[in-house]
Amino acid sequence: MRVVTVSLGLAGRNLLLVRRVPSVFIPSLVMPLFILIATAGAFHGIGALPQFAGESYLAFTIPMAAIMGAGFAGINSGMTLARDLEGGFFDRLQSSPAPRLALVFGPMLAAQARGILTTAVVFIAGMIGGVMLPGVGPTLLIFAFGLLFAAAASFWAIGVALRSRTVQAAPIMQLVVFLSVFMSVAYVPLDAMHGWLGAIARYNPVTYILNASRSAELTGTVNWSETWPGLVSAAALLLVLGAFALNPLRHLENR
Amino acid sequence: MSAPAVETRDLVREFKGGIRAVDGVSLTVDSGGIFGFLGPNGAGKSTMVRMLTTLLRPTSGTAVVAGYDVMADPGAVRRRIGVALQDAAIDPYMTGRELLRLQGVLHGLPRAECRARAEDLLARVGLEDAADRRVGTYSGGMRRRLDLALSLVHEPVVLFLDEPTTGLDPTSRVALWEEVRRLNAEHGTTIFLTTQYLEEADQLADRVAIIDGGRIVADGAPAALKAGIGEPLLTVTAGEGSTPEAIAGVLARFGPIIPGSVENGAGVRLPGGSSAMADAVRALDDAGVRFQSIDLAEPTLDDVFLKCTGRHLEGAGDEAPAA
Amino acid sequence: MTAAAPALRQTAALAWRSIITTIRLPQAWFPALFFPLVLMAIFTASFGGAPGAVPGFPPVRGFLDFAVCGAIVQGVLIGGTSAGAAFATDIEGGFFDRLVASPTSRVAILTGRLGASMALGLFQAVLFIGIAWIFGARVDGGITGFLVVLLIAVIFAAAVGGLGVYLAIRTGSGEAVQGMFPLFFALLFFSSAFFPIETMTGWYAAVARVNPISWLVESMRLEIIGGATVGTTLAGIGTALGLAVITIGASALALRRRLRVAA
Repeated sequence: MRVVTVSLGLAGRNLLLVRRVPSVFIPSLVMPLFILIATAGAFHGIGALPQFAGESYLAFTIPMAAIMGAGFAGINSGMTLARDLEGGFFDRLQSSPAPRLALVFGPMLAAQARGILTTAVVFIAGMIGGVMLPGVGPTLLIFAFGLLFAAAASFWAIGVALRSRTVQAAPIMQLVVFLSVFMSVAYVPLDAMHGWLGAIARYNPVTYILNASRSAELTGTVNWSETWPGLVSAAALLLVLGAFALNPLRHLENR
Repeated sequence: MSAPAVETRDLVREFKGGIRAVDGVSLTVDSGGIFGFLGPNGAGKSTMVRMLTTLLRPTSGTAVVAGYDVMADPGAVRRRIGVALQDAAIDPYMTGRELLRLQGVLHGLPRAECRARAEDLLARVGLEDAADRRVGTYSGGMRRRLDLALSLVHEPVVLFLDEPTTGLDPTSRVALWEEVRRLNAEHGTTIFLTTQYLEEADQLADRVAIIDGGRIVADGAPAALKAGIGEPLLTVTAGEGSTPEAIAGVLARFGPIIPGSVENGAGVRLPGGSSAMADAVRALDDAGVRFQSIDLAEPTLDDVFLKCTGRHLEGAGDEAPAA
Repeated sequence: MTAAAPALRQTAALAWRSIITTIRLPQAWFPALFFPLVLMAIFTASFGGAPGAVPGFPPVRGFLDFAVCGAIVQGVLIGGTSAGAAFATDIEGGFFDRLVASPTSRVAILTGRLGASMALGLFQAVLFIGIAWIFGARVDGGITGFLVVLLIAVIFAAAVGGLGVYLAIRTGSGEAVQGMFPLFFALLFFSSAFFPIETMTGWYAAVARVNPISWLVESMRLEIIGGATVGTTLAGIGTALGLAVITIGASALALRRRLRVAA
């Protein structure tokens, strides 16, 4: 139980920082918005491909922008942690009896909270562009995948932070999350992809998270046959990246 | 309490490249006192504190803090210690009150108690008025006081203060000393304090260990350490119509004259220190020897350091004057 | 010897120094090469089905032929930002003051920087077209078309380099210059750099149409996919020259003002 209360306490502090440092907060909101508008605007014409079956390209892009926003939220948590490690605030946490798990789960929860916010912002922007919410169940499912991806991305970024102990590692955190989304089905469905990238997308777990989220957005129903591969992919990511984030906790004192 | 607050045996910490920051330290700090860990920059003080506060794993040796082994049961140690580290790692974007409450949460205090403790401690270190300001706007002295308050949230048994007054102005420094003394006297909290200031160790600590190059070079009560250097040196300079020889003649009754200890006068090691000084003055008067100035120089911890290491303590020269 | 000779030699020396420091600092050149290539690859894999299927898409041999000029412009923008940040670091670190205190020609301080940016732009254009060529893209305009693309890329690199120098002098902080990058990135996306303007709709298309990046990329692109005329070629060169005159003029003024304050 202490893990939960301490994690929540740390997450609260993390969110406070985001609110009080606009240079961190504003980009984390603007970035998913920019991705939504720029993608839907620049590549609007690609929606004419037969693989889209006449769906709105803006609606098609909403789940990708939401996932990207969640990914940013995760990176943000890793960067805050890296700053804490560099500046010494982490020493305070480490010398306190706070459960070690909370040192990872706190920032992870903060990422999820921010992921909810960015997903909501993406939905609102979509509505301004004329795409209504797909219904309660599908909307909640898209939020849920945002939460899962925010957790996965934060685990990655936290794992990098705990190993590198410097904000200089931020580009590594960002690059991997970007590429994991862009090398999936970010712009077109799997059957419209060409060449080697199509092959990578087929084995990229983010592809199945996006497919599940997209199916909910575009069909307005929760389609189990599209959803379960997404859930399995998210679970696999959380398992692997969770281990990546938690493992350094055992060696904190060895530096 | 009878168990020592800190007990280490052959504690070693080796960093990459084989540098031994702490090189076989065996130390016993009794409960209830103020222990001063004195040494120049880079002597191994911070590394020692980081090991004792479970932040750094010792390369070899053992360390028991508040009755628990730092390696075997770090959780138990963390529950009993308070830590205020050198670079005062405080989040500039949070307010003092928020940080205090968060610290309470970290220690698993119930919400109501977190709030109550925060108010209590803010009052105690005199930060009530600044409680809702961001720490980024605090002065150096305020930060240290907040840092002290943060380390006290859970009423620790042993409090570690790593260079608590480095960079503070003299007034803030004395205020912090007062707070530390009060904490020790009223709550019986054992204080483990590192410092590079002789005066701080001398004024505050009832026991001092001097570390240099990762090894303890001296360990004991400040008075005892200084006494080990020798008796205080009494020097008298000749006044009108008097000569150094006349003064030496009188002072020789108290002990062998130390040659070259002062110009135009004479010096002698005076057992009994300042109380014996009156006897010397009386003897000079009785003999009708006029003198211009008289000075009794107590040995300092720097003399101790000098004797043990052959060097002066770094930073001893730029020490702030006593207020 | 003419009076211009020392300034030329100093320009070459300073450009060489900029090039060497760029090469030795991976974070200065890696993003300028990596990101455009990765995006080009991702877009080609994603939008490979667009030519011939999306109404309004110009006739091309493949999407890569279409995409390569967008990559060049993106690379030049990233490179110019890094160069501007490096110049700001020179100002912060005192190298700039040392130059000013020496009898180095004032013009060479500026042209040295620009020369390095132009060299990087040329290298990027040749590299990206070469890589696209390996993966099957062809230059329809032949050697002439290829040279025109290089020319526009180099002039544009000077323009972006000028902007970087201007921002560096005005802000004096490498971080601030680097912080402008998202703005350039937005400029890039709100243009026809990655997808044809004919397929866009509404306000987005309107913004892209008045975005000079669009004019630039479209002119370069026609040299590669075919259909370039004297008019389109001159339009591209003119746009690049126009941008260069504005940014280099602004940076020269900013430099003069700064030197006057310092004197």
